[in-house]
Amino acid sequence: MTCFCTSQAALWRQHQTLSNVTRIIWFDLKHELNPPVWIIMEWLLFGLQLAVYGSLISRLVTATEMPNYFQFYAVGFVVMMTFDIGSHTGRHFVEHAHEGRLPYLLSLPIPRRTLFLAITLQGGVELALLLSVPLFVTLIIIGNLTAISAVAALATLFWLGFGVAGLMLALSFIAFRSADIYAAITAAVSALIIRFSTVLYPLIFLPPQYAGAALLSPLTYGADLVRLFLGFDPSLLLDPIFAVAILTALAVSTLGLGTFLLQRLVEGVKSG
Amino acid sequence: MPAVETKDLVKKYGKTTALEGLDFSVNEKEIMVLLGPNGSGKTTLLLILATVLKPTSGLAKVMNLDVVTQPTKVRQILGISFQEARGFWRHKPPEILRFHATICGVPKIKREPLIEEVLKDIELWDARNKLFMHLSGGQAKRLEVAKILIQRPPFAIFDEPSSQVDLRGKRVIWEHIQKLRDEGSTILVATNEVREAEYLADRVTVLDQGKNIVSDNVRSLKDKIAGGDIVELQVEASDTDLLEKLQKIDGTVKVATTGENQYRAHVSMAESWVPKMTDLCYKKNLRVVSVRVTEPSLDDVFLHFTGRALEATPNIE
Repeated sequence: MTCFCTSQAALWRQHQTLSNVTRIIWFDLKHELNPPVWIIMEWLLFGLQLAVYGSLISRLVTATEMPNYFQFYAVGFVVMMTFDIGSHTGRHFVEHAHEGRLPYLLSLPIPRRTLFLAITLQGGVELALLLSVPLFVTLIIIGNLTAISAVAALATLFWLGFGVAGLMLALSFIAFRSADIYAAITAAVSALIIRFSTVLYPLIFLPPQYAGAALLSPLTYGADLVRLFLGFDPSLLLDPIFAVAILTALAVSTLGLGTFLLQRLVEGVKSG
Repeated sequence: MPAVETKDLVKKYGKTTALEGLDFSVNEKEIMVLLGPNGSGKTTLLLILATVLKPTSGLAKVMNLDVVTQPTKVRQILGISFQEARGFWRHKPPEILRFHATICGVPKIKREPLIEEVLKDIELWDARNKLFMHLSGGQAKRLEVAKILIQRPPFAIFDEPSSQVDLRGKRVIWEHIQKLRDEGSTILVATNEVREAEYLADRVTVLDQGKNIVSDNVRSLKDKIAGGDIVELQVEASDTDLLEKLQKIDGTVKVATTGENQYRAHVSMAESWVPKMTDLCYKKNLRVVSVRVTEPSLDDVFLHFTGRALEATPNIE
């Protein structure tokens, strides 16, 4: 009897946790989807970029190692979008902490784990919504793909997105000193990470000094891994095991460090 | 057993100490007002009790639950109305209240009627279709208070509940806070508004530079100021030794003449001093023309216990 009651209580708690996670995610998301202007604008931007810049630049790139630069560019642009969305999610979370919304959420009668799970999943859902159409279009452009390769590419993009969001959280301590400096630093870091990466050009094409810098960019590993899953020539790409290891280390360390630092800053433990 | 208590509570932000070994308690079903200037540690204390901030050291308990080791349970019995109502810019008041009510476990069947009732009570009904970002400061503050009125938690915290709200609105908010207390909630209000404190408080804790200076009910606090009551007296005819006799009445701190047959006495506990004074005049066959008693305000209480006025203190909160 006791055992039955305990399991019933556990089920009820799980139900409550799930309900609260859904509520927190939906509370914000419904405003982004009603109407989904921001999401549709991102999709249109992707289409425009591919139709104009992508098609023109791919006519200029005629290297023998790169028979179809348009496909390479399309994947690169999806990776850049992933970076932008992850970065936006991380910065958005820091802004909430900074402007007082996070203290409200922290005061609600839900466990911290549930709250942080909801916030993380909200970022994931936004990422999935924003990437759904661009990724679908890219998969059509590349063609001849299996479901497994598409899912693996999507998983890589998610992992990269969480890593980037974590990076922005890890830099959040700056925001508590100055929001302007935080905005400037994250913008500079973003610009450097994108440009010194293999998002738009393969590593073997890069001069040694650029290649060295590109190896420091998380986007290099994300982009190369996605391309590997989507059937690009492996000789143009980094070792996939190395890329998986780097991306995993990035996501785990930055998300862990970011959450830890932010929680300490928000809860005021840092100085304790 | 007190509903809320802290022992030797310390909170530091870098080199700044916000709370310095605070001992403090709130009894069940009372309104405790924390009175102090900006930077006195009021908000820090409230955020620690709400488990939003963690203390540097010391103990804080709400309904016998430790805020550090049992934070989720603490949050299940409290609600906090923040000093600054911010965050959900693109939402409308009913949506914000619905979200709050749902997360706080208000039964679905009660939610909508309760939201409507509270929005009307707090005079936000006409603004129900505005986005949060379009609400005035006073309306946003009312919405912040409305969250607690819908939740009706056993322990309710209000941080400056009527700041930015007009005079009429202040009275409405204060009446609802009192009603909440009458229905059984324990209430903690932080304010630097003397009028708010006087209206609401069952007891007052004077907080200054992170320390509990004194806690008591308003009457006792005022009575603790020696010579805090001012009695202005006018008699019908002149009397050569009245001034001297007035000075000898128990509770007199000082007396001075302010005009022809007019006196001003600084006394402790005017309610017991005035009968003695009228008795003296009766014996001297002097008719008292007028008596005016002015009691000290909580601002005077703060000044008395801290040596500083409530306003014009540095803001470190």
